[in-house]
Amino acid sequence: MPRKTPTAMFGAAAVAMMLVAGPAQADGEYGILMKTLANPFWGAMGQGVEDGAKEAGVDYFMQAVESDQAAESQLNVCNTMLQRNPVAMITAAISSTNLLPCLKSAQDAGIKIVDLDGNLDPAILEAEGIDITFRIGSDNVLAGAQGAEFMVSQLGADATGPVLVIEGLSGNITGQMRAEGFAERLGELAPGLEIVASLPGDWDRGKAANITNDILTRNPDLVGIFAANDGMALGAVESVFAAGKGGEVVIIGVDGNSDAVKSIQDGRLTASVAQLPYLVGKQAVETVKMAVEGEEVEESIIVPTLVLTKDVMDAGTEPLLEYVK
Amino acid sequence: MSLLAVTGIRKSFGPVDVLHGVDFKVDAGEVVGLVGDNGAGKSTLMKIVTGMYSADAGDVALEGESILGKTPGERRALGVEMIYQDLALARQQDVAANIFLGREPVRTLMGMKFVDRLTMKRQAQAMIDRLGAKLPAINRPVGSFSGGQQQSVAIARALTFNPKIVIMDEPTAALAVREVQGVLDLIRQLREEGIGVILISHRLNDVLSATDRIVVLHHGRAAANLTTAETNMAEVVSAIVGGSDMVEAAAHEARA
Amino acid sequence: MASTEPRVKLPARGLWSRVQARSIEQLHIRLESLVVLIALAMLMAILSPFFLSVSNFLNILLATSTIGVLAIAATFVLSSGGLDLSLGSVLGLSGVVGAAVAVKLGAPMPIAVLATIGAGALAGLVNGLIITRAYVPAFIVTLGMLGIARGLALIISDGRVIYGLPQAMVYLGQGRPFGIPMPVIIFIVTAIVMHVVLAYTRYGRHTLAIGDNENAARTAGINVDFHRLTLYTLSGALAGLAGLLFATRINSGDPTAGITYELTAITAAIIGGTNLFGGRGSILGTMIGALIMGVLQNGLNLLAVQSYYQQMAIGAVLILAVFIDQFQVRKESRV
Repeated sequence: MPRKTPTAMFGAAAVAMMLVAGPAQADGEYGILMKTLANPFWGAMGQGVEDGAKEAGVDYFMQAVESDQAAESQLNVCNTMLQRNPVAMITAAISSTNLLPCLKSAQDAGIKIVDLDGNLDPAILEAEGIDITFRIGSDNVLAGAQGAEFMVSQLGADATGPVLVIEGLSGNITGQMRAEGFAERLGELAPGLEIVASLPGDWDRGKAANITNDILTRNPDLVGIFAANDGMALGAVESVFAAGKGGEVVIIGVDGNSDAVKSIQDGRLTASVAQLPYLVGKQAVETVKMAVEGEEVEESIIVPTLVLTKDVMDAGTEPLLEYVK
Repeated sequence: MSLLAVTGIRKSFGPVDVLHGVDFKVDAGEVVGLVGDNGAGKSTLMKIVTGMYSADAGDVALEGESILGKTPGERRALGVEMIYQDLALARQQDVAANIFLGREPVRTLMGMKFVDRLTMKRQAQAMIDRLGAKLPAINRPVGSFSGGQQQSVAIARALTFNPKIVIMDEPTAALAVREVQGVLDLIRQLREEGIGVILISHRLNDVLSATDRIVVLHHGRAAANLTTAETNMAEVVSAIVGGSDMVEAAAHEARA
Repeated sequence: MASTEPRVKLPARGLWSRVQARSIEQLHIRLESLVVLIALAMLMAILSPFFLSVSNFLNILLATSTIGVLAIAATFVLSSGGLDLSLGSVLGLSGVVGAAVAVKLGAPMPIAVLATIGAGALAGLVNGLIITRAYVPAFIVTLGMLGIARGLALIISDGRVIYGLPQAMVYLGQGRPFGIPMPVIIFIVTAIVMHVVLAYTRYGRHTLAIGDNENAARTAGINVDFHRLTLYTLSGALAGLAGLLFATRINSGDPTAGITYELTAITAAIIGGTNLFGGRGSILGTMIGALIMGVLQNGLNLLAVQSYYQQMAIGAVLILAVFIDQFQVRKESRV
């Protein structure tokens, strides 16, 4: 008898749990699945979602995972969220494929799917037979291109000299799109500006600082740096100023986060292509509400990006500045 | 033909010569004491016999056949057992697992071999009973036992597979007086069963009372081969220290 | 009567102690961890109306399957006194190799599956060869492999997700025969087989003995070096299997898959009662450990608790599990 007890206990508990019927209903809830809230960009987007939901008067529950690399963990959280039977799932997928099975189940359950920040690949969605309600976000290729345009506006179309590109995490699509957008447009506008290195900074400020140091050693005449996010751009700023080249190198980041804004105001970072994540989050909720209520919505909503510079901020006339958090 | 014959064994570790040509024999039913100062090469010699070390030169033969080319496991299977000073027990495993370590009985089920726990437990219990050892429970980790109890497990392991020769490395060093007597009785019992025993010990009184013959290792050679009945403490001590200071050393040993 | 079991009587210390001793002896699990798992499940059931359902239970098992397979590997290596820090990276590498073989080379499904598991086994074999032949500590070798395998995965995939596995392969990750997700079936079958291997075969018992006292295992005639070599190879192969589950679940080889998974796998093994320094471990125990983490995460997700708190909760459970374990071991050695 005693030796059977643990098995018996477990069995009884399992049976008891199986007997309980399916999940309860929670009508009208929006499930919002972020990557992580542990950086200002995603924090601002989360804030936008929250404010948007309050204004629109809808119920929502938001989840995020521990880091923006926890791809499988995000899939598991996504599956768990479906247990609450939301009417819509607003998802910021960590990779273009990690949430696919969950999104399929959501579609089968008649849940509306929103691609927050444009991380899903339309071709893959089509291959998988997943119909999303809409995608919303900034165009990362365009953000990179805007960075290139601004750099050329500073240096001149006939400028020559070496340029450094600091990519995101190896294998991350967002960083790749920004870096590619930048490189492509730079080649078109100013062929004399040569990208001498394009290296992954892994979204890491310290790593970006090291890369900048190394390249400055090799190319002391560096004229421009484009980093795929602000954190890395700020790392590059530190190295450039430490090397006594402050003001000589055009440094551009992407995101427009508060650290970057401060650095631009201090005259250190040259510019940041601001993504307005707050606006993305807010508009996402507003648009989902329209879709849930049966209105037609656009399939792809591009929230504009804004090149933040000291001049733009000092003038204060740009309407989008309101959404820079 | 001797049960165990060690001839001309040489061994060095890098520049350090530990054994230079040791000859050594044990007959069936004979108890041989192996004594010598620290560093004389006793442990190295025994590890060459069990196969833990390889020899640079020389031969080890069991019943006339060389076993030098065999692994430690194969030598155990042929009947060479050793009880190590540190007992070499897996402390988190139970009594049966330790006794049968490396030679667990198996049962074949659907083409797969599974360890036969029942047989192991039964035989382990039988051996513990035969030794008259008192253990709190046979299915507990041996690490929870006292030193003497752990020693019983190590001895049981050496005797379970009908050994031909048993090497005991300092079996009495960590024991209480009453337990020492038990080990000496066990040695006599093994002799009666025709098993060869090699007893390594610093306690010369034990060696003199339990052995038939005493081999003294000195500077990596078998310096003396004494018949226990015809020798005494002074002679053994003299051989251990190499002839000099014999009186003083013997006196010291007598005091100890 | 006197000859059978005179001294084998379990100490009469009440029902709980006896059940405890039996569960360790018969099932090789610590009862405390099972009680914690059930209590945790009951707590979650009370707190969240969404917890108690068949589909949510399958969700928990599905969420546990990849890390569970990895934790089996961790249990084998840890209980032999070893360490494999490359598990997560090898998982990522295997998935990428499998996806590359299937998508870029267009190989049929069985070949691609073999390539996935084989890539893991090969990485494990390299680990094992360096550890047992060159005597470099396992910590160092597998830490090195952590970097090498990850780098190799990024090189093979050119840093991009390799998408679009053949349907037959995707079935392994997304199929649901009888409504049960395939990864769950693969995970449970693997766990049962490996439990039997560790608990009831000579190979498994020798694994524990080596982790307990390597010297004793050597003197007992066990070929310790060869055994370790096979263990690291097995560990790599299981990481490859986990990589297969991961890749087929998301229909792609992701070079960043499995980052820091080795730590999660080791955590599951230790919560389940595996000794970090070797000599003790069981797959059933590890499964309970992995499920404790799975239930905790699932429940907190259903309650919409922020992920930061989840990490804290799992950290606390780990420390608590080892504390209870130490307490037990000390109690036992006072007999």
